[in-house]
Parts: sequence; structure tokens; C-alpha cells
Amino acid sequence: MGSGLLSMPFFIKSKPQSSSPKSILLTTPSLQIINAQCQRSGESLFTPTSLQLNAGELAVIAGPNGSGKTTLMEAVAGLGLFTQGEFLFNNRQSHEEWLEHSHYLGHKLGNKGNLSCEENLRFICHINQVQVSTDEIESVLEQAGLGGYDYHFASDLSAGQKKRLALGRLLLLKKTYWLLDEPFVNLDQAGCDWLYQIIKNHVKQGGAVIITAHDQKKIHELAQHYITLQPFVEGVE
Amino acid sequence: MQFWALFKRDVLVAWRRKANVYQPLVFQLLVVTMFPLGLGAGAQTLSKIAPAVVWILALLSTLITLENIFKDDFEDGSLGVYVLSGMSLPLAILSKTTAHWCTTGIPVILFAPVIAMLLHLPEHAYGILMLSLAIATPIFSLLGTVGSALIMNIKNGGMLLSVLIMPLLAPVLIFGAGAVLETALSNSASTHLLLLSGSLVLSLTLAPLAAAAAIRINLE
Amino acid sequence: MNKIVKFYHEMGSPPSFYRITQHWLMPMLILAIGLTFYGLIDGLFFAPEDYQQGDSYRIIFVHVPAAWMSMFIYAIIGVCGIITFVWRMKVAEAVMMASVPIGALFTAITLLTGMLWGKPMWGTYWDWDARMTSQLILLFLYIGVAGIYAAYEEEPRKAARLAALVAIIGLVNLPIIRYSVYWWTSIHQTSSITLSGGSEGIHSWDMLRPLLVMALATKFYYIYSMLTRTHTYLLKTESNKKWVANAVTKTKGVQS
Repeated sequence: MGSGLLSMPFFIKSKPQSSSPKSILLTTPSLQIINAQCQRSGESLFTPTSLQLNAGELAVIAGPNGSGKTTLMEAVAGLGLFTQGEFLFNNRQSHEEWLEHSHYLGHKLGNKGNLSCEENLRFICHINQVQVSTDEIESVLEQAGLGGYDYHFASDLSAGQKKRLALGRLLLLKKTYWLLDEPFVNLDQAGCDWLYQIIKNHVKQGGAVIITAHDQKKIHELAQHYITLQPFVEGVE
Repeated sequence: MQFWALFKRDVLVAWRRKANVYQPLVFQLLVVTMFPLGLGAGAQTLSKIAPAVVWILALLSTLITLENIFKDDFEDGSLGVYVLSGMSLPLAILSKTTAHWCTTGIPVILFAPVIAMLLHLPEHAYGILMLSLAIATPIFSLLGTVGSALIMNIKNGGMLLSVLIMPLLAPVLIFGAGAVLETALSNSASTHLLLLSGSLVLSLTLAPLAAAAAIRINLE
Repeated sequence: MNKIVKFYHEMGSPPSFYRITQHWLMPMLILAIGLTFYGLIDGLFFAPEDYQQGDSYRIIFVHVPAAWMSMFIYAIIGVCGIITFVWRMKVAEAVMMASVPIGALFTAITLLTGMLWGKPMWGTYWDWDARMTSQLILLFLYIGVAGIYAAYEEEPRKAARLAALVAIIGLVNLPIIRYSVYWWTSIHQTSSITLSGGSEGIHSWDMLRPLLVMALATKFYYIYSMLTRTHTYLLKTESNKKWVANAVTKTKGVQS
């Protein structure tokens, strides 16, 4: 991760020339995080952590409350910074390429309250430069259990429904890497089953998922990588 | 396409929250009522202060809309959505600035003659008033994004926002209100307007970069 | 040359900065106090009376050096802001934040003494002339930098980087403000000292001497105060580092 000035888009960049992102992927995409550390309020949160995640794999990140799971997820997504360590995607430090292939869903879902479900999904697709038809949006809303809610404002939905709406994006955007921070929270049993199913399918179809979820045995069993964040203690270096 | 997607979304969000659009205008109307009440209703007194008051009201009413430009997006997480969309951040900011200008700047420009009439501004100055505001309201929005990006993480940042951008807006006020004043006194306002345009060009190039830097730091 | 490079690198690291500059404090303080005493006595009792303004002009021995410092310190804050923002240098960050309250203080002193001077001269405490107005806006710039830092205080690094950004924006904006304000109106008397040799307001060496002495005194005071604050800032923000523990125990050892 370039830091400071380097990662700052000071100039308006032209889009990478690839006509379709899928065409570059001759080899399986891989994400490498080597000895990464994050800080909150100037204090390191966890011991250096490494992860190699290829397409078709699932990684679970665990750790007690306050161990920095969300901070780590944000840093991986590109919202935060690693204070130490290396971040490589397809053996390059290319931030743009990573953003093109990943989607992050955090605690803050990113739905706009006074936009309808349909408008929310449409915006997400357009801002990510994905063409989408009304039929596709309707079918995704149907799958997410929000059939008939097309024209409801996102603020009128229940907490679980908001989560479903946000998860619906993943199906529309078709990115390879999903970064999901506690996606099961607020979902009912049916919702959890649905999410489990789409994660499983995604991984099977060559996608990759990093997830933080406690209490989700089924997901943990599915995972190829299981990372427990160890609290960083000063002076043990 | 990304630019328009974000622009469309912001205009829609602002339009649905009608208060965003009419709040500045109601504010102007409220304050302008207080001037005759406090100063006396003499047309001569009022027309003397009119150029400055119309301008300051336009500025203050924009100021109250700035705080939430990025704060709302930061709080509901949609800031992350466009930061991570691969879109160049200054471009995203420019898109949001344009949307903010369309939903607050344009109404303020169109409403200015009403305020000017209430304060007995000489009629031949109306054209320059609208023109100066047309050049200056984009500056308000541009500098506003910088302030808004700086305070997006703070509760009740409105006061701090005012302190941060007041020094930036001081020259704009000098040039803009000066232009209207000169016209009211039947002098040429072209120097003022040129300097105002210069400020617009400068803030158009620098403000998105500064706001992008502020957002990056805030997200770290 | 080599020594200078080494010195530069040492000043960039908090522990060596602390180690080197802690010996500077005393001399700076003594110089500041000594020169202030000399400057004030010379200025208030021995400098000749102004033929127009009488004794009341003597406030310039405080007013003018304070005004110089208020600009000088903002320039330092701006430069440190750029260094903090681009290279994330901890010491620059500390110097920047340490300088803010001192600069604000000098700006406030300038405004206050200016007002006191204005009463006998212009018959009013406040006059919206170009220099007083831009000085007031400068005070807002200082408040802005301090305010953004205070708002993010729980996260010192983020706070410092945002404050640096605000300082840089202010630095870019300062010439525009000054230009526009001067353009807006100019009824103030011309500068006390012009660079082109001759002085218009100040006529004799006897008047100039205490002024320059006071200017030096404020510089030394600034260095002293800035270093003290920088040390506190570094100790506070690096409190979990080893060198801080060493530094603190060492000071204690000396005292006991």
C-alpha cells in the first residue's frame, strides 16, 4: 500500500486500458498480505499477520472484540492503512487493480436512506461502472428476499432488510474478492442460510471471500484459512 | 459515467430532503426581515447596505448547508462506496460539488433579486448581483467541500467549519460585495468580477485536491 | 558539510532532537529575558520622543516585534505543515503544533497593542484598516489550525495531519487575503521600517536599536517556548517508546 502522497490521486487518472477486467485474469488472482499491522490511536492492534488468499478460497478472521478485525478489513479493502507489512495483489502493489476486483461491505452498509432499494442498487452498479438492467435488479431483490420492495426507501426497511439490500450488491457487481465484515449480524435464520449459500457458491465458482463472523460454525468449516488476531503487546518485539 | 451517477444520486437525495433546498432561502428571508426592524425602514438606509447584506446573506445561507456534504456519506458508509469504486477521488468531489451547487447555489442566485428588492437595491445593480453570485456560489460549494471534508468525523463541527472557511471566503466576499457596491454607485465592476473569476479558477483547481487529501487522512 | 547532513538527520528523529535541544532551553530563556529587559528599558526610557506622536509611539517596541513574529511563526507552521503532510516527519509535526499557540498569542498581542495605540492616534480602538483586518483574519487561521487539532485530539497523528493540511491551505490563502484586504482599503500609515534602507516612521538609530533588540528577544522567546512545547508534545505522543522512559528517568535522577 503506497502511503500518503503516493496513494493520493492528485491527478485525474485515465481508466486502465483493459476492455474487460476478466480478460486479464489468465492466472488465478491472488491476494497476499505479509506481516501486516494496523494501528488505532497510534497503538498497534495485533501482531504482524499474514494471509495468502487465492481465488476459490475462503478466509475467516477471528479474534476477541477490539482486536482490530474491522480495522484490518478496512485496511485490506483500501479504506485504511497498514502501518507495516506488504500488500500484494497478483504480485503487484496495484491499488487500482485490487479495487477493480474487490468489494467491501462493512458495518456501515452504505445504503442511502432516502433512495429506494432499486435506486440504491442502480447507483452502486453505476459508480462501479457495471451496466445493469431493471430485470437484473428485480431478480437480485427477489433473491435477497426483498421482492416487491423495489420502490421502498432504504430507511423504511428493518435492520435485517437493510443488510439484505447491501448484500444484494455482491450479486450484481460480480467482483472476485468479497470482504465481508460481520455480514451475518441482524440476519434472521433464512437470511443466514441464504448468505451461507451465496458465499459457498461464490467460492465454488472461483471467487474469494474474507469474512469476519463469530458464531457461524458452518462458515468456519468452509474456510481454507482461519486467522486469529493476537493482541499486540508493546515491548515483546 | 461515474461522475454523473454520483451527481444524480446527490441531487436526488437533496431533492427528496426538501429542507436542504428551501432552508437557505427561508434563512435569508428571516434575516432580511430583521434588518428593517433593527435599522429602520428608510429606503435610503437600506439601499446603502443592500449590496453587502444581499451578499452576506447568500454566503451565510450557503454556510449552513455545508456541514453535511460528506458527513452524511461518512456516517451511512456510502463514502466508502465511492472511495472504493476506483473513481478518482478529486473527480468524485467535483461531482458532489456540482450537485451541491445545483441544489443550493442556483436557488440562492435566483432568490437574490427578491432579497435585493426587499432592501431597495438600485435596480441597475441586479444584473451584476446575479452575475457576481453566479461566479461566487461555485466557490462557496468548492471551498465548502474542503471544510466539510475536514470536519466529517466530528460531532457538531459546524462552528469549526465556519472558522476554517471564513478566512478562505473573506477575499471572495470582498470581491463580490465590492462588485455590487461599485455598480450601485454607478462605477465599473469589471476589476472585481475578474478577480472573482480568478478566485473561481483557483478554487476549482485546488479545492478538490485539498478535500481529497482531507478525506484520505480522515479514512486512515 | 557532512556534519550538517548528520545534524539534519539527527534533528529529524525525536530522541536525538530531544537530546540535542534540551541543552538549548536555558541559554534561550536567559537571552530572551535579558534582551527584553534591555530592549524595554532602552525603548521606554532612552529612545527619543517622536515629534508627532509623543510618548505614545513607544508601544511599537512591543507591537512591531509581535507583528513580525505573528507572520514569521505562521510561515514556520506552514513549512512544518508541508513537511508533516508530505514526509510525515514527527518532529515537524511537533514543532508545528507547538508553534500554534505561541503564534496565536503574538497575533493577539499585536491586535491588542494595536488597539491601545489606535486610541490616542486615531481616536478609536478599532479601525477596519487593511493591516488590522488581515491580522484579525490571521488570528482566525491560527484558531482554525488549533481547532481542527483539538477536535481530533484522541488520534494525534490524524489530528496533526489534518492540522497540517489546514495550515497549508492557510499558507496558500494568506497572500490572497492580504492582497485582497489591502486592495479593499488602505488608510493605515506606511510600514514602520522599509527594506530600502531609509526608515520613514523611525528616524534615528536610538529608536531603531531597541526595536531590533526587542525583535531578537521575541525570536529567542519563541525558540525557548517552542522547544519546551515541542518536548512536551514529543514526550506525550511517544509515551510508549523506550527513549521517553529513559529521558524521564534521567531527568528524575538528576533532580534526586
